[in-house]
Amino acid sequence: MIDFELNTQQRMLKEALHDMGKNVIRPQSLGWDRQKSIDLDFLRNFYMMSQALRGENNPMEDFNEGPKNRDPNKPVQTNRTAAVGAEELAWADASIMLSLPGPGLGGPPVRATGTPEQKERFFSIFRDMTAELRWGAYGLTEPGAGSDVAAIRTTCRRDGDHYILNGRKCYITMGGRASWVVIFATIDPALGRAGHRAFVVEKGTPGFFVGKIEEKMGLRANETAELVLEDCKVSAMNLLGGEEKYQTKEGFMTAMKTFDNTRPLVAAMACGIGRAAYEYARDFVKENYVLGRPIPRYSAIAERLARMNRQLEAARMLTWKAVWMADQHLPNAKEASMSKALAGQAAIAACIEAIEICGAHGSLTEDHALLEKWFRDIKVYDIFEGTGQIQRIVISKRLLSDLKAF
Amino acid sequence: MISFEPTEDQKLIAGTVADFAKSSLTPRAREFEKAQAVASETRRAAHEMGLSMAAVPEAFGGQGLGLSTAVMVNEELAYGDPAAPFGLPGFGSYLLAVQELATDEQAKALLAPFADPAGYDTFGAVAWSERKPNRQRAGFATTAKAVPGGFELTGAKAFVGNADLAKSILVFAQVDTEAGWNGLGAFVVAKGNPGLRITGRHKTLGLDCGHFGELSLESAKVAASDRLEGRGDFANACIRFFAKYSLIVAARQVGLARQAFDVAREYCDIRKAFGKPIGHFQAVAFTLADRHMDAESARELVRRAAWAWDAGKDPSQCLLFTAQAVAHAHQVAMRCADDAVQLHGGAGFMRDVIVEKLMRDAKQMALAGATAEQMDQLAAAVELGIPLDPALVLPTTETQAVLT
Repeated sequence: MIDFELNTQQRMLKEALHDMGKNVIRPQSLGWDRQKSIDLDFLRNFYMMSQALRGENNPMEDFNEGPKNRDPNKPVQTNRTAAVGAEELAWADASIMLSLPGPGLGGPPVRATGTPEQKERFFSIFRDMTAELRWGAYGLTEPGAGSDVAAIRTTCRRDGDHYILNGRKCYITMGGRASWVVIFATIDPALGRAGHRAFVVEKGTPGFFVGKIEEKMGLRANETAELVLEDCKVSAMNLLGGEEKYQTKEGFMTAMKTFDNTRPLVAAMACGIGRAAYEYARDFVKENYVLGRPIPRYSAIAERLARMNRQLEAARMLTWKAVWMADQHLPNAKEASMSKALAGQAAIAACIEAIEICGAHGSLTEDHALLEKWFRDIKVYDIFEGTGQIQRIVISKRLLSDLKAF
Repeated sequence: MISFEPTEDQKLIAGTVADFAKSSLTPRAREFEKAQAVASETRRAAHEMGLSMAAVPEAFGGQGLGLSTAVMVNEELAYGDPAAPFGLPGFGSYLLAVQELATDEQAKALLAPFADPAGYDTFGAVAWSERKPNRQRAGFATTAKAVPGGFELTGAKAFVGNADLAKSILVFAQVDTEAGWNGLGAFVVAKGNPGLRITGRHKTLGLDCGHFGELSLESAKVAASDRLEGRGDFANACIRFFAKYSLIVAARQVGLARQAFDVAREYCDIRKAFGKPIGHFQAVAFTLADRHMDAESARELVRRAAWAWDAGKDPSQCLLFTAQAVAHAHQVAMRCADDAVQLHGGAGFMRDVIVEKLMRDAKQMALAGATAEQMDQLAAAVELGIPLDPALVLPTTETQAVLT
């Protein structure tokens, strides 16, 4: 039956995150933005709390294999719950979700392609982070190759029991502090995707350096790093999935599959930030405009508010549909891209409109500073994990016949 | 639990309606347009399938399948031919208005003829709009004067769907001339009423097989029992009626948007330029991707609003979801139809291809029930906590006149 009601667990998660967002996170959000990092104490407490909440179907699912003894064909709730949680957390602060301890975006490729030995080795460090918080990261983008993944130039060549990696990775979320990073490299650029290899490169590997920590427009509390590989010597045991994984083209396709489940979560986060801006503008109008009187300005503002909100709702519908499909184990590449493309667009529009509706107040970095922050934070949601244009390529390839490439 | 999966029954019904639309509506869309009517045998077939009364509660002779099923039925009918549902008797403005405004006893009597085997030829109409806003005072110029035993209606109504076919017309008139939009009443006027005259049929931009027309009332006498009072809360009953009717129209816009998208997509696959299908150019492909997102999101918003009504959610939430769905669907349908014409190039402008009709239908349909602009005002009022004053949230002639 068609239903849009959150289940009990999702409702409780949403309410808990909302309360914490309002009372704990938002009051610190601007400080984190200015100091360019989230307090470790907060992250630790948040981590401990999510550990305590962890149960069956928890969004903070076991990093390794997920709940045991689960029938892989049986529908789950995980993706829906994660979307609900991601939206609420982003409503409070956009940077937290991207800064949470754990394998981050590095998790999906390891989970999807890692050998049992690799999964154990790379995930076990996250099992108990009471003493020390740890992160994983995902290194694909390079100065010369972002959306065009096939064009990566970081090289790898076999040297005995090792691979030697050379190149530069950029815009890597939590790259500076990650315990390990999934690095994509090529054995021969001429081979295109067939030449790609994925490695788990650990912190402290000889020849592996953290370069520049980026200064950004928004999401300033979240770390974005450049990573440098100079004759970096990586054990062949860290080749993700082992040699046999790369006899077929699947090796590369794995990288792309990473995104089918994460794109809707990015969309959910965008919905959360857009909603924050929308609610702020709505409450501002309530308090600062003369309502209920036939002033022409009012109906124009009312229409803007309504439009912002319904565009966000439309995006939320596509997001929920994409995660619902993921939970049913239905292929959802098109829907995942649709949700992200629409949510990025709707949330950016909402943040821009919110500033305009509040007038000069909206651009102040003092009284209404959150609004100004959200405006800076949201733009990247139409950029990372595939720009809006890349999403449209993914979508249109699934709409038109025989469209392999433009 | 969030789910996008219709029930087995709904899948079966939607599938059957889709087959019917494909075989009986799509191939004859141009014929209906020219005839300005849906053929009698098509109406009969739809009626025999039970489409007319699907969403009407069982107590009133319907199947009680709710709005959730009604929006699916309307979407599929409109996917076949978006104009056709306006020319089919059944789940349109009249049935909804009676359900919202009448007492159970009145509703039973008024809806019975629609469930009858002869129901395929039975039309009802809602006479709401007037040609011009009333400049003397707020409210309609058409008045209902209390006389012994009932009321006398005098005035003129416009943009009335099925005006010339209706056996029964629900006329909105000013009862209390001092009370503005809070002073309205609704009265059932039978076709044979000596004071009722159908004064003409509008020539419209689109939706040709919907019979939109005008009527005049000259001291048309109705009994006191012909007045529908909205079960004690007339203003809110009117708001609910327009919300639900607009949602049904929005479901038709979703069907239209899907059809426009599919026709355009097929064309972009086969039409070649510069040595390859035009869909293989990014400007074209991205446009299709955007319209696909539009149609899919509109469909889910419409379904969510229908779900909220059926699940008995808080009225303000139902109104908000409905307003969002309707405003989005109207804009989406127009974009989809417009781009479908645009992607066809010159061919899209010619009547050989269906897209030009879809574009006209989409614009016309955006004026049936409450408009996107009116729905945005309603949504904002709910969100800002402003009282739902009928003058603000009903589609009055003072803002935008609408078709009913």
